[in-house]
Amino acid sequence: MLRFVVRRLLLLVPILIGLSILLFLWIRALPGSPATALLGERATAEQIEAINEQLGLNDPIWEQYWAYVRSLLEFDLGDSVTTRRPVTDEFVERFPATIELAVAAMFFSIVVGIPLGFLAAKRYGSFFDHFSLFASLLGISIPIFVLAIILKYIFAVRLGWLPTVGRISVLIDLETPTNFYILDAIITRNWEALWDVIKHLILPAIALGTIPLAIITRITRAAVLDVQNEDYVRTARAKGVAPRTVDGRHILRNAMLPIVTIIGLQVGLLLSGAVLTETVFAWPGIGTWLLAAIESRDYAVLQGGILIIAIVFVIVNLIVDVSYGFLNPRIRLS
Amino acid sequence: MSIAEIEAREAALEPGSGGLWRDAWARIRRDRGALIGFALVGFFVFVAIFAPLLAPEDPRFQDLSRLGGSCCPGPSLDHWFGIDALGRDELSRIIYGARYSLLIGVVSVAVGLSVGMVFGSIAGYIGGIVDSVIMRLTDIMLAIPGFLLAIGIVAMLGPGLVQIMVAVGVTQIPIFTRLMRGSILAQRDNDFVLAARSIGVPRRAILSSHILPNAISPVIVQATLALATAIIEVAGLGFLGLGPQDPSTPEWGTMLTDTTRYLQTAPHLAIIPGVAIVISVLGFNLIGDGLREALDPKMRGRG
Repeated sequence: MLRFVVRRLLLLVPILIGLSILLFLWIRALPGSPATALLGERATAEQIEAINEQLGLNDPIWEQYWAYVRSLLEFDLGDSVTTRRPVTDEFVERFPATIELAVAAMFFSIVVGIPLGFLAAKRYGSFFDHFSLFASLLGISIPIFVLAIILKYIFAVRLGWLPTVGRISVLIDLETPTNFYILDAIITRNWEALWDVIKHLILPAIALGTIPLAIITRITRAAVLDVQNEDYVRTARAKGVAPRTVDGRHILRNAMLPIVTIIGLQVGLLLSGAVLTETVFAWPGIGTWLLAAIESRDYAVLQGGILIIAIVFVIVNLIVDVSYGFLNPRIRLS
Repeated sequence: MSIAEIEAREAALEPGSGGLWRDAWARIRRDRGALIGFALVGFFVFVAIFAPLLAPEDPRFQDLSRLGGSCCPGPSLDHWFGIDALGRDELSRIIYGARYSLLIGVVSVAVGLSVGMVFGSIAGYIGGIVDSVIMRLTDIMLAIPGFLLAIGIVAMLGPGLVQIMVAVGVTQIPIFTRLMRGSILAQRDNDFVLAARSIGVPRRAILSSHILPNAISPVIVQATLALATAIIEVAGLGFLGLGPQDPSTPEWGTMLTDTTRYLQTAPHLAIIPGVAIVISVLGFNLIGDGLREALDPKMRGRG
């Protein structure tokens, strides 16, 4: 098992090197010189000269790349042009908002998707089964931002049940030591804030979680259909194991591998979808941050933000890979 | 015996020329979901082609007097889908928008498909160091979540219609590369390939006339589903304001950009383009699902 994990970790190295090269070249391919790209349009000649010197733009390209990698290893991603603050500081502030949203979306899609897919498979061919298939097809056909707008219109604008924008009401005070608002509210025992934060989270989480929900439902249904006619299930039934135990221990547990696989694959989708969901709900996370960076041509933020997200994404994929190893010995040994 | 003769004989040995496709067609005709998909896509293509005849007005024609002081009049007999914030007929804009979505979807998938197929075929067929290099490159591209990669590319190329088509197309390259490679690998060691190689058929001919035709069906399924994804992603980029910079362009995603501001008084401006996107995407998804089942070799003969 250890060898499997180590081998996987080693495979990360070329990917990370490749990513750094890609982003290094990307900032040089942007319109304008790297200096104006990093400083913004209104930079003075002295500033451009200074940054050219600082970035060593007169050095050979491989030396420039080496300098870039060295600064990366020191967790220095440069400063934002608009706020003049280190990119890493802003990232640390904003990332928890996106994580909170993504986790809530994932929670919603798993808690609803697995039982839905399971029931559809149990009632194979029934109206409920057809309905769940159609609903999941519709779910993957609705663009996230369209769904977000529709949800916002119905539940926030029309019915007024839930707030339209943001993470927390302006009137509510909350200390934020971790920037995960739910966690902060629990730590500080601020129950009013907790309820408010949850209310803000519901619509964005449903909008972001619908595509994963549709996919998880479909895969669960297919996996359960695949497993429920296996010999060991029939044997368990024949020897009189309680139906509930057969469902849980024999069917669902064996159907779990493809389900876990597909759940792992949703992480990229959640990070991508967060940009759109956050835009509709003015959610102060990574998505709105990157988008604002595009509008203000804040390329340092874009370069650093995309790099960190890619690293997070790669590491999550690694964790998913390793967890298959635990779930399925055949992968570990091959 | 010449290669041409061998190929002719080989063709004769195959179970009915074009058998896979005829079988697939027979199955797909009985698949109600796929038929609905074809109907939706057919309707969508029809609207796109005949937009100038179907649309009651020029989609760029503005008449602010029609707003009547408020934003924005909803559906009425004169304007079935209402009027947008600049006094334009929403129905005409939706109809012309079909052209953009179709064009954008097809072009971006064509970019991803053609480049991905070439790289995937090379990687799968040549193998060795070439394969390793191409696969590591796809790993790197796939390390950035697709939509963010597209945003990064648009940041590099600048916003615009052509730019978002290219950006979405590029994000699909690694997907098609991997799929094509896997498909080729599955075919490469088949007996008929070995036979062709043993009688000295050139490598390029083996690839183009023996392996590719057999490896293509998963790629076709993926291409159909990719059309759906491309339409969604392009609409998303348009919604974020990265699409056509001329705001009079009736692109569905771009049309949605400002609608959140009028949600209170004019929800139709958000809902109608949204529904148009959903219908076209649903159509491609239904066809893709139908094709996947119809082209699955395991299903053959069960039609």
